[in-house]
Amino acid sequence: MGGYILRRIGFAIPTLIGVSIGIFLMIRLLPGDIIDIMFSGDLTASEEVKDQAREQLGLSGSFPEQYWRWVSNIAHGEFGFSLRNQEPVSDIIFRALPITLELTFLALLIAVTVGVPLGVLSAVKRDSAHDYVSRVAGLVGVSIPSFWLATLLLLFTSRVFGWVPPLNYVSPFEDPLANLSQFILPAIAISLFTMAIVMRMVRATMLEVLGQDYVRTARAKGVDRRTVVSKHALRNALIPVVTVVGFEVGVLIGGAAIVEIIFGLPGVGYTLLQAVFNRDYPVIQAITLMIAFTFIFVNLLVDILYGVLDPRISQA
Amino acid sequence: MSDKETPDSPRQGELSRRDLLVKAGAVGAGAIAAGSLAGGAKAATKRSFATPKIRRGGRLIWGLEGDPVHVAPFGAIPTSNMWGKEHTYDSLVEWDRNLNLKPALAEKWQIVSKTEILWTLKKGIKFHNGKEVTSDDVKYSVNLMLNPPLPGSVATTPQIPAIAGIDVVSKYVFRMRLKQPDARVFGVFAWGRYTPIVPEGLYDQINVARAGIGTGPYKMVGFNPNDRVELLRNENYWKPGQPYMDAITLKTLTDEQSRVAALRAGAIDGATLSVDVARSLAGDSNLVVLKGPNAGFRELQMTIKPGESKPWHDARVRLAVNFALNRKEMIDKVYSGDAKYTGHVPPGYGPWPLTDAELKAKYVKFDLPAAKKLMADAGLSKGFSVTMTTIAQQDYPLISAVVQSQLKQINIDVNLVAQEIGTFAALNGPGKFDWDVTGRGMRGDVDGYMAEFHPASSSFQFWYPQYKNIKAFRAIGNGRIQLDPAKRLPIYRTAQTAVFETPPQIPLVAITKFQVVRKRVQNMYVNFNDFNTGLREVWLSE
Repeated sequence: MGGYILRRIGFAIPTLIGVSIGIFLMIRLLPGDIIDIMFSGDLTASEEVKDQAREQLGLSGSFPEQYWRWVSNIAHGEFGFSLRNQEPVSDIIFRALPITLELTFLALLIAVTVGVPLGVLSAVKRDSAHDYVSRVAGLVGVSIPSFWLATLLLLFTSRVFGWVPPLNYVSPFEDPLANLSQFILPAIAISLFTMAIVMRMVRATMLEVLGQDYVRTARAKGVDRRTVVSKHALRNALIPVVTVVGFEVGVLIGGAAIVEIIFGLPGVGYTLLQAVFNRDYPVIQAITLMIAFTFIFVNLLVDILYGVLDPRISQA
Repeated sequence: MSDKETPDSPRQGELSRRDLLVKAGAVGAGAIAAGSLAGGAKAATKRSFATPKIRRGGRLIWGLEGDPVHVAPFGAIPTSNMWGKEHTYDSLVEWDRNLNLKPALAEKWQIVSKTEILWTLKKGIKFHNGKEVTSDDVKYSVNLMLNPPLPGSVATTPQIPAIAGIDVVSKYVFRMRLKQPDARVFGVFAWGRYTPIVPEGLYDQINVARAGIGTGPYKMVGFNPNDRVELLRNENYWKPGQPYMDAITLKTLTDEQSRVAALRAGAIDGATLSVDVARSLAGDSNLVVLKGPNAGFRELQMTIKPGESKPWHDARVRLAVNFALNRKEMIDKVYSGDAKYTGHVPPGYGPWPLTDAELKAKYVKFDLPAAKKLMADAGLSKGFSVTMTTIAQQDYPLISAVVQSQLKQINIDVNLVAQEIGTFAALNGPGKFDWDVTGRGMRGDVDGYMAEFHPASSSFQFWYPQYKNIKAFRAIGNGRIQLDPAKRLPIYRTAQTAVFETPPQIPLVAITKFQVVRKRVQNMYVNFNDFNTGLREVWLSE
């Protein structure tokens, strides 16, 4: 198992280096840099003044020089400073991260706690009214964009109940109830897609597993139906679900951006989007790298979990 | 619900422009000149408003459509930066809601010569940290305006008048030396965007990106980027009795529907909204829709560069385009009737713009036969194709589509390309486009609207270095150095009419700005510039 984990970590390092180069180049290849945006309303600025501003922001030098400066600083634990407000990028990330992590965690929690039982029920009671309702709901879930649902939820609660979630972030450690009331709607909005995917995946794999010989054998031995489903079938059916959930962490962090904007939550996605509009390179680079790292880390966890759920995988 | 223009007459206790000019006379002719440099007022109507009993206290929450990014006083680029800091800082002079120039931190001023202004500060005004405002603070502030440190940018320095330096005469008196005569001084200081007065040594005392110390009606007690600005009442504000509220929270809500939901639910007290969205709130008895003219007008811009031979290099083609555009249709289709005809200086900008009647009858008249004749005269009755870029947000794609449709009538085939703002900015600045539909914003002085038509400006060199209009060049050049406002008015009128003879930029419409507030918000008005200056004077009825 230890060797397996080391191998997986070994794969992660070149992936991160590749991602860092990709991010660095892509944002610089976008037409228009921060200087263009800064001077866009100014009709009188000369090229000399623009060059002066470029120098002031540390954007001078070739791309390889700038890239080397960036990665060297990261190696020293420094992510640089925002080009727009000169705030340390690490401060910006640490302020935004708890919000997105909580949102993602809540969304996953909702998706799994609702999606898995629905999928199991749908598979066990195949072709029943419940199954049809769940399947239609699953289809709707994967079809509705989260930003649309978020807006709808917000307008609905404001019109019908004259209520919107609190606008200012409240830490769960200060006031858990206020925090929950702030996060529940956005979490529902971004969880629906994942919930539908999980439900459909669980249903499909459960149907497959329930048709396996060992399940039939367990039933023939007289094990009750509930135990067969929960102990024998579900455990095996969950392996592909774990994969999906792992992928969905990345999707949720990325997808949270629009929902964070709609609900006024200053999370990582929101911050990233603003940074893209402002061409704030250090912020974009650091956040994207962090999301890539999270994605790789979660997939590493998924791989390890595979080994726990199915020991044959790590032995291979 | 009411949908109302915000009052355009001075409130009781305020000076009208006329009053100010009379008072300014007491400090010399220079002050009179200065009193008019900012652009003066619209013809101030002398309606009187009964003063309701003002209730003090309460916290107002305002939804901002953009994040301030930072709240540094000098060199800030984003307009939204000003939204975050505008209630914390003051300048030497200020505008009232009608763009009348008023003394602020300065008590009086005297134009000693064309390159020298003697200012006297009001005594006893204190910064939020308790320190009194003195000439040393002004000297420190002006130095930073001219050389803004990070997170500000030198990008703002072209907006600052040609100040050579400040000489401190005494604690309250200082001399402002100009490198050359520059009529923009008073307007730019009244605008305040780049010219706040801060205590000496501020940049060594606090992180100016996240905090501020000024003399404004509200002290800044916290700023979280992408989240909110927290402001508290300044008990020692220099305007007696103001401010009226205890606190203001400026909450960043970039999504318009979120602002609407928050308004309906009472989670915020007010916000800026687009015309259609604002009107959709007409049925809500808890809300009041305010509207007013705005500095941001839209225009069709063309490049005229050497080494190119484009059809619109012929002035007759540009004039044909101008006459083929039906502004009334644009206003009705895109803005539901809430926009105005405009020239190169937007309506509402003091006495400077051409009148609505003149524009409709002559300068931006819809005259299709004349447009077709001009195209024929230019040998282009069969038209031509051109790519027109625009910004892929707000009303730009819509108004561009209307332009595209209208120009088909003179056989101009417009290929419309909507671009992300960063891309647009990157191509627009250096003139890497043929045509584009863009917008203008507030300027501290009328010169800011006309300078781009003068060869001395760098944008002129990027956009239309082949453009020739001696009459306009002369007027614009003279306008900047002419300190007498009475003489400036006809100069800028000449400049505008001259540019219209062969326009390299074609004004489209002037937009109306909408702000929706909850019923308890009193005395709010829609400011002509891009800021929420009205909040300084707001009080809450409950």
